[in-house]
Amino acid sequence: MNFTQLKKNSTGYLFLTPFIIGFLVFGLYPVVNTLALSFTDATLMSRSSHFIGIDNFKRLFADNVFIRAVGNTWLIWICNFIPQIGIALLLSVLFTSARLKIKGVGVWRAIYYLPNLLMPAAVAALFNALFAYYGPANQFMVRAGFLSEAMRFLESITVTRGLVVFIQWWTWFGQTMIILMAGMTSIPIPLYEAAMVDGASVWQMFTRITLPLLKPILIFIFVTSLVGGMQMFDIPFLLTDGRGSPLSSIQTNNILMYMKFASSKGHIGAAASVGVLVFIMTSICALGIFYILRDRDLDQPKPARKSLDKKNAERPQS
Amino acid sequence: MINKYKLGTYLMRFLVYILLFLLLVITIVPIWLLIVNATRSTTEIQQGISILPSTHMIENYRLLISKGLNLPRGFANSLFLATSSTIITVYFSLLTAYGLVVYNFPGKKLFSNFIIVLVMIPMQLSIIGFYRFMSKLGLTDNYVALIFPLIANAGAVFFGKQYLESMIIQDLIDAARIDGASELGIFHKVMMPLAIPGAATMGIFAFVASWNNFFNPFIMISSIEKYTLPMLVQTLRGDVYRTEYGAIYLGLALTIVPIIIIYAIFSRYIISGIALGAIKE
Repeated sequence: MNFTQLKKNSTGYLFLTPFIIGFLVFGLYPVVNTLALSFTDATLMSRSSHFIGIDNFKRLFADNVFIRAVGNTWLIWICNFIPQIGIALLLSVLFTSARLKIKGVGVWRAIYYLPNLLMPAAVAALFNALFAYYGPANQFMVRAGFLSEAMRFLESITVTRGLVVFIQWWTWFGQTMIILMAGMTSIPIPLYEAAMVDGASVWQMFTRITLPLLKPILIFIFVTSLVGGMQMFDIPFLLTDGRGSPLSSIQTNNILMYMKFASSKGHIGAAASVGVLVFIMTSICALGIFYILRDRDLDQPKPARKSLDKKNAERPQS
Repeated sequence: MINKYKLGTYLMRFLVYILLFLLLVITIVPIWLLIVNATRSTTEIQQGISILPSTHMIENYRLLISKGLNLPRGFANSLFLATSSTIITVYFSLLTAYGLVVYNFPGKKLFSNFIIVLVMIPMQLSIIGFYRFMSKLGLTDNYVALIFPLIANAGAVFFGKQYLESMIIQDLIDAARIDGASELGIFHKVMMPLAIPGAATMGIFAFVASWNNFFNPFIMISSIEKYTLPMLVQTLRGDVYRTEYGAIYLGLALTIVPIIIIYAIFSRYIISGIALGAIKE
């Protein structure tokens, strides 16, 4: 490498400088600051604060409020993720099926994706209005005879949790489907042709070819959905009273953090401790899953080689 | 045998279209009810469901703004914030992505992996530390606190990197170097014009993300004249509008419709952009 080349390549660092500075100031420092605050009794009003060790964390576990919030968040995320990935996988298989030749694939998926772009705050407020006592949901249920009299939907734990799950599913299944379809169309067709010659069934082709080759994309969807789900705020916050009613059944991690932050004294030290614990929990889960599941793939030198190996491995079994 | 196969295909296709139609109804009904109810009076709304619009939109609008909700200002605030966020995100993310794609330097691979890791870390949870930091700088209740952090937007850099890698620009860059252009000049004059489609897609996502963002402005912004649309939605949920359903639906529809229009125009870019933003090996 001669001198001019070296000079040119070190210019690369120059292009990264704004990002690195931006990250250190607005990304890393707030994380460190949150961690530092979680060990103090800082409030919004006070200028100074004292180090109080792990008191904030002890207090979080003293009652079951924090555990309940974490439990709610996981429950809502899992209940939405399973049908989301299920429907998305089904739709992407149907849309890419050479046998079915579904018409208007572009239009269908454009419509299914639409909810993802809508403002979550407005969507939550919309469902609040739709499921109000005098709202359309009650009108429909009573007139169609499903309910004998109007019901207070948003005072029922099951219905309210179900609505949050539904809204999350409604928002994300289209996006997940589009990502999966992009993955499926990049799988070489000869793989399927070879499998068909060997007499593989549709289900065998799906589980032995499609799913293994989609693995990196599935991991990506899984991890980003988990990270997003653990930070769920807008929808549960605005669907009911902003405290996760009824009976705190939709009080998520972020709502709890906000409630500590916005309490009359503004206990930001306590709020920071919620942020820290959820941050650690989510990062460990996300990065852990990402690396455990990816390791084996990284050992393979080339994706193309891998596909061929997979295909050969299929042969004796079919 | 062939006939049985064909018959099976027809039957399956029929069932699939039923499923697709059901999902279509589920997707559309809430949005349709929102738009229709925005044009109906509160009395009409309470009388029952309609799938056809009515004529009370203007009335609903008067009612909506008569109770102290400054929707036009919220709209202007959101527009300003989303536009600035978009410009900052697109410019700095392309700059970073360009540096990663075009140059070879020690630590390049490490930095690329670091970007992926950043995408998977829940940064929103450090908002408390961020708030305290901004309040020390006197930047709470200031849009700067919402715009500047986008200089380091890992998701957008990842997208930009995927996009630039799909373009072949090395020859053009070398040609520009021979012509004596500076490295930054090449980025501005050669790369930027070529990357317009990718920049547009990235820009749409950045715009929508900022337009829809509720949590960060909700924490950072306190004075009512700086409220953005999602924050006004929260006001709509309050006591003042308790029974004015027509006005509530209209207020919600007005926050959503601009995005639906953008989507109607750019849906092709948006959908192809989603796949590009996902990790592909």
